[in-house]
Amino acid sequence: MPATDPTPRKGFFTDTTVCIGCKACEVACKQWNQLPDDGFVFTGMSYDNTCHVGASTWRHVAFVERPIRLQGQTAGIGDFSWLFMSDVCKHCERAACLEACPTGAIIRTEFDSVYVQPDVCNGCGYCVAACPFGVIDRRKDDGRAWKCTLCYDRLKGDMQPACAKVCPTASITFGDQDELRSKAEQRLAELHGKGVTDAYLYGMDAENTPGTGRLNAFFLLVDRPEVYNLPPDPVVPTKKAHAAWQALAVAGLGMAAVALTAAFSVREASR
Amino acid sequence: MTRRYRDDPAAMQDGRNVNPGLGVLLGEGAQQQVKRVEEAFPAPGVTEVPPVHAVATAARPTYYGQPVLKAPVWIWTVPVYFYMEGLAGAAGALAGAVTLTGDEVLRPFVRRLRWVSVSCCAVSGGLLIADLGRPSRFLNMLRVFRPTSPMSMGAWMLAAISSFSGIAALLSDAPGALRRVGDAAGYAAAVVALPFTGYTAVLVNNTAVPVWQSTRRSLPFLFTASSMTSLSSLLQLTAHGAREQQIARRFGVAGRIAELVSSEAVERDARKVPEVARPLAEGRSGALWKAGKAMAVASLALSLLPARVKWARTASAVLGTAAALSTKLAVFQAGRVSSRNPHATFDMQRAGRGAAEVGHGSSNLVQLKVEGRLIPLDQAQGPTV
Ligand code: SF4
Ligand code: SF4
Repeated sequence: MPATDPTPRKGFFTDTTVCIGCKACEVACKQWNQLPDDGFVFTGMSYDNTCHVGASTWRHVAFVERPIRLQGQTAGIGDFSWLFMSDVCKHCERAACLEACPTGAIIRTEFDSVYVQPDVCNGCGYCVAACPFGVIDRRKDDGRAWKCTLCYDRLKGDMQPACAKVCPTASITFGDQDELRSKAEQRLAELHGKGVTDAYLYGMDAENTPGTGRLNAFFLLVDRPEVYNLPPDPVVPTKKAHAAWQALAVAGLGMAAVALTAAFSVREASR
Repeated sequence: MTRRYRDDPAAMQDGRNVNPGLGVLLGEGAQQQVKRVEEAFPAPGVTEVPPVHAVATAARPTYYGQPVLKAPVWIWTVPVYFYMEGLAGAAGALAGAVTLTGDEVLRPFVRRLRWVSVSCCAVSGGLLIADLGRPSRFLNMLRVFRPTSPMSMGAWMLAAISSFSGIAALLSDAPGALRRVGDAAGYAAAVVALPFTGYTAVLVNNTAVPVWQSTRRSLPFLFTASSMTSLSSLLQLTAHGAREQQIARRFGVAGRIAELVSSEAVERDARKVPEVARPLAEGRSGALWKAGKAMAVASLALSLLPARVKWARTASAVLGTAAALSTKLAVFQAGRVSSRNPHATFDMQRAGRGAAEVGHGSSNLVQLKVEGRLIPLDQAQGPTV
């Protein structure tokens, strides 16, 4: 690719305020990627029987059903509100999974997405413990780690990801980051104008998620991140690891000192 | 005759429901092998009642008590690896120090230490490979050199120390120049051993798991010290001459003291956020942790008795080994439990111990962006608490 014409950074803007919880994205993702189903569990958690994204589930619609009133939602009787959010891998600017992967299986693509190469992954599972969003998972019977690919195959063919394509309310919008950002800012202003002042953008810029940098898949939310099972202040573990390496260096030198003292003191003593 | 979809058990049972006569399996997830469909359900145990402390309240919301993080997928071989590789590292380091004395009488001790180091490396390698999802691809670990990944660094250190210790062990009693080559390899092994002995602490510190991430300033000390205890315990059981015994004992007493001090430091680090420290106090991980500490105390006390009391030496060695194993198992298990508790992650980040600890924290923590302005969270309307 010529350096003068870089592929623009791609991503998702998910506006949770227009999501209707139809799960078309979940279905389209499974179908396009030919992912196996993962059993049929009845959870009793509102209409959410998927629960999380995982190795074979790369989109997950969260259903937050609560007896409280939210801005911009009118309830017939009493206080009641719905929140829906289609969750996905964030394709982080500082991707914990990528920085942890010891085999180089996880790469950054020309679209700025984070991609796991199934022919390289040896299933060490380090990415699973590293991801601050609990996205990537290892499938036991397959042995490798899997997650959303931002439909790498479709992007290569100039198509948009299956979930964005199928979303009937355009809650999931796919596009160039610059476009998505202006779209998101616009929508936010519109909502604030309508009195939904609690609305904010999660992960759109490094101010909001300084620990992971900008998230290529970012969200418009109207309640605290925890409500949607998102971490309020996620951080790529690598940013903190230098403290551990420093401690290890001191510990190692301490052990060297003890070993030398033990070895030499006994020699002296026996003379 | 075309086979009908419902006659093809494989197509029916892999959970894809794609009729191979009509569809081609070329999707990004088509290579995913399926033996048991339920295997991939991303929230095992979801229908069980979540632990009381995981349940949401208005002030501390969660998503139906569900965890935020994925649990580490590692199996029991990993904590045993923490023990084994520590043994290999400590043996490599002590072998280097004893070689440096240049004392011929201690030469058999050097040789034994080198063999301990290289055999523990071999066992360690086996334990690691056993944990891989694709064991046949273990060599992919040496495909890249990635300083951001302690696992990558560990794989390289393991490769280096096993080679160096191996050469050193084989050439321990070689004549002339060859012996010097062996000693050089031994010193190289000793240098690698210094970070290698406790690196598995950094490995777990460098994760999103709250109790592991929070103890990054103390756990490397604990793992290094506990490895010293492990080695001295092994030597106390097997060492030959009186001088060997004495070296092993001094090394071990220092290791045990450091182990006790640093386990206090680990607890202190974790206790800064109560939910984070919970697995070190409760449940199976808590029991293992407390047992580890108690056995380390007992082992230290016994090792301070005069060297000629043989039963005390043996008991101290057995307790020291059990303490090291128990502590490393406890840390491993605590991480698993911690990853399942959403409050551990949320409380930690709300308390300013997420990204805020290394730079500035998220604007989510204190404020929301309203009409381009940042306003404090408690002034925003609605159910935000
Ligand atoms: S959300 Fe997790 S899996 Fe996705 S890119 Fe970020 S760290 Fe990796
Ligand atoms: S499981 Fe695979 S993708 Fe994840 S860190 Fe290990 S080798 Fe990399």
